[in-house]
Amino acid sequence: MLEVIKPGLETSVQDYPGRIGFWNQGFPPSGPMDSWSFRLANVLVGNEPGAAALECQFVGPTLKVQRDGVIAVTGADMQPKLDDQPVAMWESIAVRAGQTLALSFAKVGARAYIGIAGGIATTPWLGSRSTFHKAGVGGMDGHALKAGQAVPVGEAAGKPGRRVKESARPPIATDKRWTIEAVPGPNDDWIDEAGHERFLSTDWKLSSKSDRTGFRLEGPDWTFTEKAHNKTPEHGAEPSNIIDQGYPLGAINLAGQTPIILVNDGPSMGGFINPYTVPLCAFWKLGQSKPGDVYNFKAVDVDEAQAISARIRDLCTETSIE
Amino acid sequence: MAEEVMTETPGNMWKVLVKPGDEVQAGETLFIMEVMKTEVPHAATSGGTVKAVHVTEGQEGVDAGIVAVEIE
Repeated sequence: MLEVIKPGLETSVQDYPGRIGFWNQGFPPSGPMDSWSFRLANVLVGNEPGAAALECQFVGPTLKVQRDGVIAVTGADMQPKLDDQPVAMWESIAVRAGQTLALSFAKVGARAYIGIAGGIATTPWLGSRSTFHKAGVGGMDGHALKAGQAVPVGEAAGKPGRRVKESARPPIATDKRWTIEAVPGPNDDWIDEAGHERFLSTDWKLSSKSDRTGFRLEGPDWTFTEKAHNKTPEHGAEPSNIIDQGYPLGAINLAGQTPIILVNDGPSMGGFINPYTVPLCAFWKLGQSKPGDVYNFKAVDVDEAQAISARIRDLCTETSIE
Repeated sequence: MAEEVMTETPGNMWKVLVKPGDEVQAGETLFIMEVMKTEVPHAATSGGTVKAVHVTEGQEGVDAGIVAVEIE
């Protein structure tokens, strides 16, 4: 068990790949935004890569260890300390009952992951322990951690003293710039040629009004093809309005003129067009970026995106441990 | 006694509530950052006079761990 002394800004239980199979009923997958760092935290301590662990956002938690065990911290650098002594990230560490693990603010990146040998043992909901706070399900009582809670941890011996090879870690940007893969569609035919060129050549700035539901981007206005203007009234008044449709996860949803990337806790349907979709292989970059960071989008096809996902999956294994 | 109040999270500077010369009490909110649609207030841990303010309202992409307000 871990006792929550300070919860951090929004720390939640997540598992990978999350709550899969209920999108058609409105339930998003949730799960860790940077599933690359997340899976490596689990592999380090000897868990299955998808076991439930903690996602810490921007400001990390302070946790008191209540039973001897093994932990690992990966992802954003929140300067983790064990009993006030700095501890290495990307390594599995033996911890003793009574010790305190404290994470501070994110110096590099935005989301850190704490893997615990045995995994977090909260009750799954619809097959997953991932927290989806908008519906109040999964995780600890359906919400982010609160001070005073005891987070249950499964029994396992754990594997201390292991390290992730440098080459297997996600290259978290330190210059506030990211190249994000984007697959055209499903509504790319609503955007004119100038609009597509503008999308792919613009420095898009990440708004602070971004969270696990949507990543809001600031940039130039979009221009549309004829079908966005000449349409039956039931589509809606704005060029970017369309008769309600299902959304893909990762959709770049054009709400009026503001693109919002629909991420892990996002909506499954609505009445705006989605000219592009960010594939899952790029979600780790979204998860590690901060307000004010700049995105450049690079068009890829589904095969390229899946190949990148497969490369990341192969890195989230024992082959990356030294 | 001098105090340096540092930003505790990356984010945008939503509101700056003090200017140089202001008298502040311990616990008084000096500035509010915004990240993930959440307001993150930053308070003085000791009272005194604001000596310098190194952030501006509306500033975007502020890093964590920088000195925002100096109090003496």
